[in-house]
Amino acid sequence: MSVPQPDNPAQPWDTRHHSVQGPAKARNQDWSDVEYTPDGALLLAVADGHGSAAHPLSHLGARYAVDVFKLCAAQFATRARAAGDGAGGGLRRLWADAHDRMPRELVRIWQDWVVDRHTPADGEEHRTGPALLRAHGTTLIGAVLTEGLFVAWQLGDGDLMVVHPDGTVAQPLTPEQAELGDETESMCSRQAWDLVRVHWAPISDPARLPRLVTLSTDGLSNSFAARDGFIRFVRELDQRINTEGLAAVGDALPGWLGRAGSYSGDDTTAVVASLKRPAPAPMETED
Amino acid sequence: MSDIPGGPMENRPVHFIWILDVSYSMMGEKIGQLNYAIREAIPEMQSVAHDNPAAQLLLRVLTFSSTANWHIANPTPVESFTWQDVQVDGGTNLGDALYAVARELETPPMPQRALKPVLALVSDGQPLDEWRDGLRAIDATPWGKKAVRVAIGIGADADRGVLQEFLANPELQVLDANSPKQLAAAIRWASTAAVKAASQPVAGGTPGGAKQLAPAYAPPALDDDDDDDVW
Repeated sequence: MSVPQPDNPAQPWDTRHHSVQGPAKARNQDWSDVEYTPDGALLLAVADGHGSAAHPLSHLGARYAVDVFKLCAAQFATRARAAGDGAGGGLRRLWADAHDRMPRELVRIWQDWVVDRHTPADGEEHRTGPALLRAHGTTLIGAVLTEGLFVAWQLGDGDLMVVHPDGTVAQPLTPEQAELGDETESMCSRQAWDLVRVHWAPISDPARLPRLVTLSTDGLSNSFAARDGFIRFVRELDQRINTEGLAAVGDALPGWLGRAGSYSGDDTTAVVASLKRPAPAPMETED
Repeated sequence: MSDIPGGPMENRPVHFIWILDVSYSMMGEKIGQLNYAIREAIPEMQSVAHDNPAAQLLLRVLTFSSTANWHIANPTPVESFTWQDVQVDGGTNLGDALYAVARELETPPMPQRALKPVLALVSDGQPLDEWRDGLRAIDATPWGKKAVRVAIGIGADADRGVLQEFLANPELQVLDANSPKQLAAAIRWASTAAVKAASQPVAGGTPGGAKQLAPAYAPPALDDDDDDDVW
């Protein structure tokens, strides 16, 4: 999927996102979305519902998480624009906003939505409170790219990857010690807002904007035999966008995700935001 | 553009370790039925593995009596696994066995990239050594804390309290195997359901305080046995 983007200098990113259901899974429990706000901020989000018998409504939880993120992130982007326009101290307040207010709002609104929107199906186990939240358990990764600022939030597993202008690949929200097995922190965790990791990157010079930002569920990175293989995936993705264009990469993405899912066994979802670049040179052909 | 970027892809291993009591009290029908039950369960494990292509099921077998011995030491893919009968010998030194398992749950030799291991303990008696020290050694390893644990108590003399402590979760139950039929059912369940549970994601730090959720692999209610042959 892609977001139609006219060649608007206020919208410097091209995007693609796609999700593939895991093999032998009854339904896809991932969700993702991409959206430009009216004032040109780009919002990216991906969520991975936990699935399994312990989290039977996690497909809904993932969808709520993405939609709640877009809601909160659009408001954050508006505050960011105001902070940029204002007097000194605005950025410092925005930093506190990103690290404190946003995580709390994300979790609180997600919990409200889970409770308010829950309509038990016929024969469904009666759940309230923590049990209802647990049934909807999901991870969340979200990012805001707006003028002068790149901020991202992550709760639970999955990967935010960044390719810098010099081509180096960074994983700014990856914990030093990954959770073992398939255990993850979650929107349904106790005091989940304290578990949110935040990437804060003011960008004063547009030339230092990342070339590529990807958000993906762990179904993608878990398919690689080694972490280095996944980092190489992101690096080569960036190179292929240079040489073959985002449209070609976007067309191939579903097949790649499906292949990854056959190894990880999981739903596999990726969001790609690529800084607009010159069209790749046409392939030379011999007459 | 079909060739996928990045490094090689590979499914993740599930290390399954049988921890079997082969003390003298298992002599006779019990050890024979245990061998039979595990041998019969192998095709079902292979079937579960076939249905979960994203997991690579690797089996090992540790026996304990007066000492702990690796009966099958190398993690063996279930597809090529063949059962070799275990024999009785000596006392019930569970602690030695748990220490041996703990050493294998360190990283390395366990890889960082894996699904949760499965520890399946089968015993008919009471440990004669400081078994809690061995259990603490398992709990001190990162993978030991995450492991899916199942415990089967054979006959009336099995110390259910020890097995329950091994499970480390009051919501899990020891499987009672008081007859050959129940033992076969328990082994079959442990062989398959626990493997499925090992590959299911769970949320840590969930409301209610438990780090790990109540397992989705509740043991089956084993039928009361109408055989005359009850241990």
